[in-house]
Amino acid sequence: MPTSVTAARQFLTEETASALDEAVAVARRRSHAQTTSLHAVSALLSLPSSTLREACTRARSSAYPSRLQFRALELSVGVSLDRLPSSKSDEDPPISNSLMAAIKRSQASQRRHPESYHLQQLHSSNNSNAIATGCSQAQAILKVELKYLILSILDDPIVSRVFGEAGFRSCDIKLALVRPPVTQVSSRFSRAHCPPIFLCNLTDSVSGRVGYNLLFPGQEDGVDENCKRISEVMAKNSGKSPLLVGVCAIEALRAFTESLTKGKSGILDGDLAGLIVISIEKEINEIVNEGNEEKMGLKLKEVEATLEKCNGSGGGGVVLHFGDLKGLIFDGALGDFVSPLVLRLASLMEVYRRRLWLMGAVDSVEIYRKFCDKFPNVEKDWDLQLLPITSSKSSFDGAYPKSSLMRSFVPFGGLFPTPSDLKSPLSGWNQSIPRCNLCNEKYEQEVDALKKAGSAVSVADQYSENLPSWLRMAAVDTGKGEDVAKTKAGESMLSAKVFGLQKKWNDICQRVHCTPTFTKSDINPSMSQVPIVKGPQFSMDQKQTSNGDLSINESLFPNQSPGRQIHMQTNFLPKSTPSISCTSEGRNMNFHSVLHVDVPSVTQQTDKDVPWFHHPQQSLSSCSGRTPSSFVPPVTTDLKLGTIYASTTQESKTTKSLNHREHLQRFSGSVSTEFDANSEVTSYQFAQSSSCSVPSSGEQFDLGDYKSIKKALAEKVGWQDEAVNSVSQAVSQVRHKYRSFRGINCKGDNWLTFLGPDRVGKKRIASALADVLFGSQECLVSLDLSSQGKLGHPNSIFECKELNRHDEMSRGKTVSDLIAEELRKKPHSVVFLENVDKADYGVQHSLDLAIRTGKFPDSHGREISINNMVLITTSSSITKGNVNVICGNKDVKFPERRILGAKNWQMQILVGSASDDAGKSNYMGVRVTTVKEASTFTSANKRKTRNAVESSELEKTDTGEREHKVPRSCLDLNFPVEEADEEDMGLGLSKSESSESSENWWEELFSQVYKKIHFKPFDFDEVADKIVKEISSQCQRTVGTEVALEIDEEVMVQMLAAAWLSDKKEAIEDWVAEVLGRSLAEAGQKYNLTPQSVLKLVAYKGDVVKEQAPGIRLPAKINLN
Amino acid sequence: MGYNLLEALNVRVVGSGDRYLVLAHGSGTDQSVWQRILPLFTPSFRIILYDLVCAGSVNPDYFDFSRYTTLDPYVDDLLNILKALGVDRCAYVGHSVSAMIGILASIRRPQLFSKLILIGASPRFLNDKDYHGGFEQGEIEKVFSAMETNYEAWVNGFAPLAVGADVPTAVREFSRTLFNMRPDISLFVSRTVFNSDLRGVLGLVSVPCCVIQTARDVSVPASVAEYLRTHLGGRTTVEILRTEGHLPHLTAPALLAPVLRRALAR
Repeated sequence: MPTSVTAARQFLTEETASALDEAVAVARRRSHAQTTSLHAVSALLSLPSSTLREACTRARSSAYPSRLQFRALELSVGVSLDRLPSSKSDEDPPISNSLMAAIKRSQASQRRHPESYHLQQLHSSNNSNAIATGCSQAQAILKVELKYLILSILDDPIVSRVFGEAGFRSCDIKLALVRPPVTQVSSRFSRAHCPPIFLCNLTDSVSGRVGYNLLFPGQEDGVDENCKRISEVMAKNSGKSPLLVGVCAIEALRAFTESLTKGKSGILDGDLAGLIVISIEKEINEIVNEGNEEKMGLKLKEVEATLEKCNGSGGGGVVLHFGDLKGLIFDGALGDFVSPLVLRLASLMEVYRRRLWLMGAVDSVEIYRKFCDKFPNVEKDWDLQLLPITSSKSSFDGAYPKSSLMRSFVPFGGLFPTPSDLKSPLSGWNQSIPRCNLCNEKYEQEVDALKKAGSAVSVADQYSENLPSWLRMAAVDTGKGEDVAKTKAGESMLSAKVFGLQKKWNDICQRVHCTPTFTKSDINPSMSQVPIVKGPQFSMDQKQTSNGDLSINESLFPNQSPGRQIHMQTNFLPKSTPSISCTSEGRNMNFHSVLHVDVPSVTQQTDKDVPWFHHPQQSLSSCSGRTPSSFVPPVTTDLKLGTIYASTTQESKTTKSLNHREHLQRFSGSVSTEFDANSEVTSYQFAQSSSCSVPSSGEQFDLGDYKSIKKALAEKVGWQDEAVNSVSQAVSQVRHKYRSFRGINCKGDNWLTFLGPDRVGKKRIASALADVLFGSQECLVSLDLSSQGKLGHPNSIFECKELNRHDEMSRGKTVSDLIAEELRKKPHSVVFLENVDKADYGVQHSLDLAIRTGKFPDSHGREISINNMVLITTSSSITKGNVNVICGNKDVKFPERRILGAKNWQMQILVGSASDDAGKSNYMGVRVTTVKEASTFTSANKRKTRNAVESSELEKTDTGEREHKVPRSCLDLNFPVEEADEEDMGLGLSKSESSESSENWWEELFSQVYKKIHFKPFDFDEVADKIVKEISSQCQRTVGTEVALEIDEEVMVQMLAAAWLSDKKEAIEDWVAEVLGRSLAEAGQKYNLTPQSVLKLVAYKGDVVKEQAPGIRLPAKINLN
Repeated sequence: MGYNLLEALNVRVVGSGDRYLVLAHGSGTDQSVWQRILPLFTPSFRIILYDLVCAGSVNPDYFDFSRYTTLDPYVDDLLNILKALGVDRCAYVGHSVSAMIGILASIRRPQLFSKLILIGASPRFLNDKDYHGGFEQGEIEKVFSAMETNYEAWVNGFAPLAVGADVPTAVREFSRTLFNMRPDISLFVSRTVFNSDLRGVLGLVSVPCCVIQTARDVSVPASVAEYLRTHLGGRTTVEILRTEGHLPHLTAPALLAPVLRRALAR
């Protein structure tokens, strides 16, 4: 039976009632029959200053952007509302039973918690009579506050499901509501004008409940920190006299002595209990100013007497407090009186060590130094220890109430029985603090001893010895999976023992070393019990895990978030799926913490083989937010999937480090494959020295990464400095982006374009990149888009380079298909597409899509993800606006296109007599024949005319250049297409005329790639000069200076090509020295060489090299005629 | 023991090298603030990263309001971390409040630190008779009340101011970490920091220091760097970065890195 709106309203405060009105309005708008909790939620969320929304903001998972999550929430609320039955009614839809029940619940809980009276009183203090009704009268109706209403509504299973769908946990939201941020609170009581009442009431209730002696807020605790330190100094074995240093030192000193004279407990106890403070500050003042020593003498006698008494009774002591040290170094005429005093005090200290403490304060070290200058032995004589004091309490008044208020909200929310649980994870942490170092060490020793004894039984210890016990449990859980329960039982025994030890040493420490009691576990003894109880419990639930009772397991996880515990308790659904996912989350959390804790210890040994370690972003993003165990934001769905997967894999694995890596790789997603490569890269990094210049680039990248890539590339392609530089820069930038998790979205990030000449260099860099990025040069997919459908070039020196590997199987397939096939074969690879500007339309289309969507479609519409690849497109052309790249326009003897035409001919040495030409010049040495002619042929004029003709003809003309040397057999067929390409590019103009659309296309494509890298032409001339020099010196050594050697240009081209192609730097030199040298020597022996004779090194046409010299594509033997 | 601490404060050790380097973030940020600096030093240093207990990335329950009332407990944390990691000597880079913490830590354990690099450091933020810290008590109170009334608005206003330089990503990043802090903790820490006064104890520092300061910093006037130089006990150098803002490691890592490197080399 629904309640009418007006009837419901009378239970509510004004604020709450207006919220209810909103809810009713929502229901009416949707013409629903009743106003339910869902309507209330919808209304509460849409309120202008929505408490609920605000609480959601604080409770929400950090994994989603808040806007998204709120959107999701709105959607799920909307959808649920849509499901409700509608009815036609003019009246306000009445309040449903469930919502009414929520109102009743909140009323009851408000009544149960007397604190709420204050709240309410405050709340209504604006209207004067409300106080009277609030406090004195037994109220007829307790008006429900908005907060309590929201809390009750959140209990509604329908509501919590709706929140759950949007990724919120209603328990988290409740916690957030119960513990509002300071802003809200302060605004509330500033409105109320009576914070003292509020505070006192609350703090009293706090202290009454917890048994914690909370003194007047704002004073005590702040001093405590300083006092604690002072007493620490005094309590140390040596029992030094603290000299407080700092601007606030005097205040701190005063506070300390005051609290000491008042005999407050908790500041000094144990050995130091019952110290008597005697101040000689005044007396000092008198001495210094008036020279009156009498009083001082009296005072000191008194001190001595007290000390004697202490000695007799065997307890207590004196703190002699001399105030500001400045008083003692007052530079007056009477300053002399000070030195006797100093000496006197020193002798007192001598006699009554451990009974007498001097205590003073000084503004700054400088003053103390001055004092020391005067009395050089004072530090030792007075047994002083300087104690830096950096803040005083007096200015803290404003801050503390707030914090006490904050804390007071924990018991405040008595609605939830969990706040004490909430501290249980803390106790483990706190326990590291309360013990002093000495006790801690002893404790650790004992734990170690215990563990050693235990390790005989438990296997788990061997790898998790350094983990805290509860983590070790977790490790057992994840690492061992369904391992023998015996081990676990032993483990939990051990952990229980460890906790016992902890407690023992804490007690000892408190008793003996009087560590002040600050930690929560000490404040409330019942809390420190919690972990001890937990240990054995845990072992039980381990067993239960195997029984499949996952929900219990979940709620008992010691490092579980309390929020989740509540969640599980209140909203436990009998379905098994959700609880399973929760469990794996829990485990995963454990796992994370294990991982996290382990990291520092792992580092030292396994730095080099744990590649993920060098990816801070990844490990951070996957771990950091979640490790602090008690406040874990709700886990997002995608993570859930991942973690379920991970936890199952973990169980199947045995070695932990393996797990770590695998786990991280799960998280790292698409970049994971780079890891292996990275491990190699990082090893480079280690070797490198730290001094390096930062390359000029606006983008952020990993310098080490950059350097190692650069090094690897430069090894392969020594001549392309700038290109290597920018390639490695680009790659390291992209990798940096990947790592910081923002990369993958940017389209075209993994695309590079190599422009300009030097085909071999480009190719070489690509394969080197494959090596660097993916660990092997095999991870290179290399395709020449221009050569599709054309014949191979049987005798080219480049032929063996597997450039056009796919040709033989290309029949019947489109180029896109070919590419797609290759990509499918090697999902992690460098894709090297040459001459993209020559690509046919299909490929153009595919590439276009690929760069925009990150997927490469083949002609059947199937798509291959290219996100794990690095795509390098090349074009021998130069883009507009970058004309400074030389492209054969200079007077070059050996342009690249000629070299590309090199054949793999066998070589031959012919002996002839000097031709007339040669004879004319006195001494020839070594020369390359017909060089002159060739260079004139390449003049621009010639080429322009040639360009007009068809490409096949062009080749013919081109070969025509070498007519005099090359017999015109079937060479035009053999001529590589690249040459023609080069030709086109060299001119550019006619090309753009002929295929403007195509050019536009690749210009556009290139504009989307991450980086364009311009290559310089390979300086063949220089290499040619070098080779000639090399050969000539070789020649002189072997056959003598008088014999001339003519090198056929064809051979020269062949040698240049070989040098270009060879991996080794000195390969050509080696070849000259070995092969050519040997052949020349043989020739010298075989023929009787005269000064007139000329050796000719020519290509033996029609005979392809059968035996190659090692490391270079040149014949291993040269035929002698 | 101690492992709990390492876990709670998200301690990470990254990089390789024989020297330890602690990167300690300032208030309002967390260790992620070093991410632009970090890669440049991982090859040559073993870098220790941790979050201050007040950072947004640390479970707010660990922040004990009765404990962290002065900077000393923060120093305890730092020293405990180093102890737990078995570090016996390290270089220390601290920003803002961590610079203060570093100073105090080095006073307590001079042998532990080979070098202090203090970025945007100030021994005292409030003005005094003959000291210009940059803030008046009244201003501070205003700031605090602004933080109290609407933390988000304050963050949005303060972040660009603190970042100074026109680097939107840095502003975003700083706002993010600042907003991650629970408002009450943030306020409490701010109070702690503004109440701290290290001027008297600077002379106790014996470790060589390098004070890195940007040309314009809303929080730290230029005179403070000079004050530090003259008053710090150890051999101290001052480096002025040609950039603006309180967070050069966020806004101008490329500028800061070489300076750090140089400072660490000495």
